[in-house]
Amino acid sequence: MKLKILISLIFTITGTVLIFDACKKREEVTTGPAGYHPTYLKFIIPAGWPQPPTDIFKDNPLTEEGFQLGRKLFYDGRLSKDGNFPCASCHQQFAAFATFDHQFSHGFDNSFTFRNAPALFNLAWMKEMHWDGGINHLEVQPLAPITNVKEMAETISNVLKKLDLDSSYIRMFTAAFGDPIINSQRMLKALAQFMGSIQSHNSKYDQVKRGEAGFTLAEQNGYNTFKAKCNACHTEPLFTDNSLRNNGLTLDPFLQDKGRMLITGNPADSLKFKVPSLRNLEYSFPYMHDGRRFSLSQVIEHYRSGITVNQPTLDPLLKNRISMTNQEKVDLVEFLRALTDNTLLHDPGLEQPQ
Amino acid sequence: MKPRFKCFLFAFSTLLLSGSCQKTITSKTGNIKLTFRNMVNTSPMILDTVTYSNPFGETYTITKFKYYISNIGIGLSGGTTPGIEKESYHLVDQELPGSLSFSFEEAEDSFITLRFLIGVDSARNMSGAQTGALDPLYDMFWTWNSGYVMAKMEGTSPQSNQAGKKIEYHIGGFSGANNVLREISLAFPAGKPGVIKQGQTSEITVEADFNKWWQTPNDIKIADLPVCTTPGILAKKVADNYSKMFTVTDVVNN
Repeated sequence: MKLKILISLIFTITGTVLIFDACKKREEVTTGPAGYHPTYLKFIIPAGWPQPPTDIFKDNPLTEEGFQLGRKLFYDGRLSKDGNFPCASCHQQFAAFATFDHQFSHGFDNSFTFRNAPALFNLAWMKEMHWDGGINHLEVQPLAPITNVKEMAETISNVLKKLDLDSSYIRMFTAAFGDPIINSQRMLKALAQFMGSIQSHNSKYDQVKRGEAGFTLAEQNGYNTFKAKCNACHTEPLFTDNSLRNNGLTLDPFLQDKGRMLITGNPADSLKFKVPSLRNLEYSFPYMHDGRRFSLSQVIEHYRSGITVNQPTLDPLLKNRISMTNQEKVDLVEFLRALTDNTLLHDPGLEQPQ
Repeated sequence: MKPRFKCFLFAFSTLLLSGSCQKTITSKTGNIKLTFRNMVNTSPMILDTVTYSNPFGETYTITKFKYYISNIGIGLSGGTTPGIEKESYHLVDQELPGSLSFSFEEAEDSFITLRFLIGVDSARNMSGAQTGALDPLYDMFWTWNSGYVMAKMEGTSPQSNQAGKKIEYHIGGFSGANNVLREISLAFPAGKPGVIKQGQTSEITVEADFNKWWQTPNDIKIADLPVCTTPGILAKKVADNYSKMFTVTDVVNN
């Protein structure tokens, strides 16, 4: 019996080595020139979470080198026309990668952006980006802010020219992709590796779910209210179902922002905007697509009493507004604060690289 | 024991398989060269300096004219499965003479029709960052509403009510009701099949008449519709018109 086990062990080890060897060889042939040995990273799906709708890293294997290149690009002002507006100028880590305390972010030539900068995390689960869902893949997302005249106001070819002049980029593109070619596809794939790796799954809520912490009484009461009255759209564990809905805000007469209808041209989509995640909203304020609500209390009050109910495209779930007692409202805010993920807010691995 | 043995077998067969992949395909191939000649009516298109007239008597100049040709296939005379060019994406740009013709390889045969999409198939509109002809550098990708501009014309016209008398038609939209992708199938002139033979090139000339953009089946009058920059009904009307702009005018096998 012992001999059998020994033999099977030898077979197993040999088999494993052979498989490993075969894979390794294939990579050397297919992924680039000799000497290209990136460190592959595994994208972790937290226990109990749904699978992302698509694998955003399927054609963009996640590597340490690609991630670090994306991180450098994310913090690099040269992606903007005058050097002042890196991605990180509107997407600040301490605000869960939204713009802290700004209704609209600031862009090139004293411009305001058109909408409130969304927080960036758990993007691997997001099929469409932007408040109107107009961007269909994380890799092409950065093209919008880079070229928007009120944001980074630069052209892609100019960005690439600037990167070409920096030997550290030539070194980093080589490490990430196997040769020193700097092109838009590689830049965008590296940015997608960084952005797609920003994850939020260590709030107090997550710790409670894992049995590592306990809610206070107020938080637990708030969670009960949340499950009864908010969960249909802000679905756990992402705290969004990533759908587009009209939540009953009035049309801003100056912005005239009709949301999803700008993308589809369909009047049935008028005033529909992406349901944002509630994670980290303690730091991602102000709220709503145009940042018109500055406090959680104001937001809840909107759903209690402020919804414009005569809009034809209003989400059916909101047609009677959401009734809530004052005590429920106070407890709900306590629960929402338990969605703050300090690991994300302070992760040194996501900070501006030195 | 058994599963482990299977694992070993799997590893072994993987090794064998990776060795057998090295075989090369031995069937003979020849070249097809496509040349696009952009025209306005019967004259070769000239950017900027020449004033043209549309069927409604409106006058215009053309400052930019470019379009995607993708998923090129050929129809064989025997009616067999048409060949499809690998990684078949080309941006034809009147400003860049080098973009007006390109070649690719096909297995030896003779063929009598040419097929392609005007535009970029929906899969590539949804697959993230692309390179080559699909690089967003070429200003043919909508950054705010992901997707390629399939065909683009810009110019000026005294009939335009826009600043600078500008006219601008950026035709795009790949999904659902807004899809402007049009599959083009062109028959060759009678008695002129393309012949693919090793060491030879079959040269096919395709003319694209811009003046077809204005009419049949849909009237596009500059005075009414000087601009189209979003997916939707107007873009589809223009696409229906321009899907009729191509003709194969010559096939030379040598």
